[in-house]
Amino acid sequence: MSTLAFLLTQGVNALSQAALLFFLGVGLTLIFGIMRIVNFAHGTLYMLGAFIGYSLLRYTGSYWLALALAPLTVGAIGTAFELGILRRLYRRDAHAFLMVTFGLALVTGEAVRLLWGSDALQVPPPALLSGVVFLLDEPFPVYRLFLVSFGIVVAVVIWQLLERTRLGLLIRATSQNAEMVHALGVDVKLVRSGVFGIGCGLAALGGVLAAPLVTASHGMAATAVIDAFVIVIIGGMGSFLGSLIGALLVAFVQVFGNYYLPDFALAFMYLVMLLVLVVRPGGLLGKEA
Amino acid sequence: MTEALLQVDGLTKHYGALVAVDNVSMHVQKGEVRAVIGPNGAGKTTLFHLITGVVPPTSGTVRFGDNEITRLAPHAICQRGLSRTFQLTSLFPRMSARENAMLAAQARHPRRWTPFGGTDVFTSARATGENALEQLGLSHVADRPAGLLSHGDQRLLEVAMAMAQHPRLLLLDEPTQGLSVEETAQAVETLAQFLDKARITVLLVEHDMEVVFRLAHRITVLHRGAVIADDVPAAVKANARVQEAYLGGIE
Amino acid sequence: MQKMKPLPALGGFAVVCLLIAAPFGLPVFAMTLLTELIILGLFAMSLDLMVGYANLVSFGHAAAYGLGAYASGYLLLNSSMPLPVVVLLAALLTGIVAIGVGWVCTLATGVSFSMLTLAFAQLLYAIAFKWTSVTGGSDGLAGIPRRAGPFAMTIFTSKTGFYYFALACLIGAYFICRALVRSPFGLVLRGIRENEAKTLVLGYNTRLYKVTVIAIAYALGGLAGALYAPFAGFANTELLFWLLSGQVLIMVIVGGQGTLIGPILGAAFFMLLEHQLSSYTEAWALFFGLIFIAFVLFAPEGIWGLARRAFARGRAPAETRHD
Repeated sequence: MSTLAFLLTQGVNALSQAALLFFLGVGLTLIFGIMRIVNFAHGTLYMLGAFIGYSLLRYTGSYWLALALAPLTVGAIGTAFELGILRRLYRRDAHAFLMVTFGLALVTGEAVRLLWGSDALQVPPPALLSGVVFLLDEPFPVYRLFLVSFGIVVAVVIWQLLERTRLGLLIRATSQNAEMVHALGVDVKLVRSGVFGIGCGLAALGGVLAAPLVTASHGMAATAVIDAFVIVIIGGMGSFLGSLIGALLVAFVQVFGNYYLPDFALAFMYLVMLLVLVVRPGGLLGKEA
Repeated sequence: MTEALLQVDGLTKHYGALVAVDNVSMHVQKGEVRAVIGPNGAGKTTLFHLITGVVPPTSGTVRFGDNEITRLAPHAICQRGLSRTFQLTSLFPRMSARENAMLAAQARHPRRWTPFGGTDVFTSARATGENALEQLGLSHVADRPAGLLSHGDQRLLEVAMAMAQHPRLLLLDEPTQGLSVEETAQAVETLAQFLDKARITVLLVEHDMEVVFRLAHRITVLHRGAVIADDVPAAVKANARVQEAYLGGIE
Repeated sequence: MQKMKPLPALGGFAVVCLLIAAPFGLPVFAMTLLTELIILGLFAMSLDLMVGYANLVSFGHAAAYGLGAYASGYLLLNSSMPLPVVVLLAALLTGIVAIGVGWVCTLATGVSFSMLTLAFAQLLYAIAFKWTSVTGGSDGLAGIPRRAGPFAMTIFTSKTGFYYFALACLIGAYFICRALVRSPFGLVLRGIRENEAKTLVLGYNTRLYKVTVIAIAYALGGLAGALYAPFAGFANTELLFWLLSGQVLIMVIVGGQGTLIGPILGAAFFMLLEHQLSSYTEAWALFFGLIFIAFVLFAPEGIWGLARRAFARGRAPAETRHD
């Protein structure tokens, strides 16, 4: 394999990995930006997305339907959770949020185990996206290429949403000064619930997209929540661009680290996180955590 | 002439293009009560942060006694005998006033970290703490949780905590901040009597001119980060540059 | 050290007497459960030192447990050191490792600190999986013996003897923690818990205090893990898994943080639910999660906190806060 081909192959691997990580991270950072809480259940909701996607695929036969509906379902669940439970905690300290979302993670994790069993489940990609494409005589999985493009599309959509739409303006304003926004007559509570739901939905989207690659399994949740957090710490809590950069950084470190030093790849990621924390405690682009 | 207790020379702080503190120099003698005044944004609190090590300076030095303390960590500077209070009240709300003072006093005990027993540490800290409370007229609320004290008493408790550390230099950042007119009058009287008796060196940031003229021996005036006057109160009052700087609104 | 108040001290003494008498009255399976409760209670209490007294919420305390278990398991399998020595050595080792962990984690505060502790536990989990020669990989260490004590004190090989050793560890650890939180060091911890910024400004090197309490908490958690390995006869990666970290945190919160006794009750509550509910429904862990959420929302002071409040209301308002 020539160097170019090698770089290209690993590059695509890294970019597709980055796309998945981006979905995880952007949801978490949005939620943190608005609500100043870290959603510990983020990894579990990612996993839930994968499993719901599995079931939707089985019962409708359409991957695309699963891709559309799973995030919506999980987003609705997230919003309901925020309405019912998180709302009571806004006057309490940050640890209360962490613990309650941890409780949610536990409950959701167990629910998944009860409903779908303990085994990992295969989620086959649609025919359109299976197989490989040849570039420079090297095979590239179509699905990974799809992930990269889809990731780019979603990133652009979110970016435009935040910068150009009224909703995006509301979100950005609320994350900077919720009281001011409230004084202007906007129902801040609604914004919060909405953003929490969107954040959860994005996590689930990541899960559905990841499922064909990694299978829907229970181990997903723990690694996902840590990955998400590492990304957000590196990129900076509350920064959209930061989650993008963090996702790219982590993905490239993971993929290339795995290739050259497979036993140490995991440690590398934590090392990067620690390095960033030492040099810039707020993350590369972040506000104060 | 004896060397000043606190020597600030050419202290400067840049935040990007903003010059928060601009080449400030001042010497505070032992036993002096020096007020630092200036309009909003003049750099007074930043100056305090620079002196106490909370913020690193861009250039310049701070000497305290015989040592240079310019880039030491805040807790190290505190250990050398500088104690300060803050603009925003910061206490241990669920602990009693006495316990607040005890914790402050304990910080200067050589065995403050004792993991077992430590009765002697407690006894000494308790005595020092209660003494400090008495100096600031707070003995009657010693058992009340700090969070439940009146705002005026809370500000005085902060001063008491600083005093419980037997500081050589006391930095008070707007001690009457947020107090009503009556509370301010009361607090100032207590502080005046306390400063008279204690004869301690004080660096005081204040907005309220009446407070300043009541308490200070000398006044340093800051404007846009730079010193524009450094003199006794009467002279500062008459200073034209100072009047110009304040034109547009002082209390 | 301050004297204990008469009524609680008497109650505590009575409980200890009951615990000492237990092997003579209880059937074997109940003794096994009780031993497990002692170990779990010690584990939970060690976390309370960090969470309840210094506001250092760790999501990775399983790291201490697993480290202690693997260390004692490895030493028992590969050396001939007597059991008590192994257990204490494993606890010490865990404490030493924790100094490094604590030093790194305290680079951050609040939520970031919590996630860093989790990251470390996951790191250890991954290492345990890979380092098969030492840890047995995904299979773990098995057949860990309950070795005799020094001078061939075979008492520790029996279940009853081991129970007494575990009980002694718990009681010893309790008194160590209690003395610690009532000392000058403990007062500083309280300051850090209530207002860390102010504590720093008063001249305390708060980071040192935090690292110290982390090391002690991990050492005691490691002690619990070190007891678990010979108790259960095995040590595996489950002991390092984040699920366990979460469960022990729940025990502390539900039992009552900042009380030392509360978390032990929390452990009992957890075991009760696990053994009772699991016979009725497979979803007992789900209920446990729901109960936890309910406690965080409505009763953050936990079971022991509720009990103390109810007790205080029934008496004169003499003593409201101590500990």
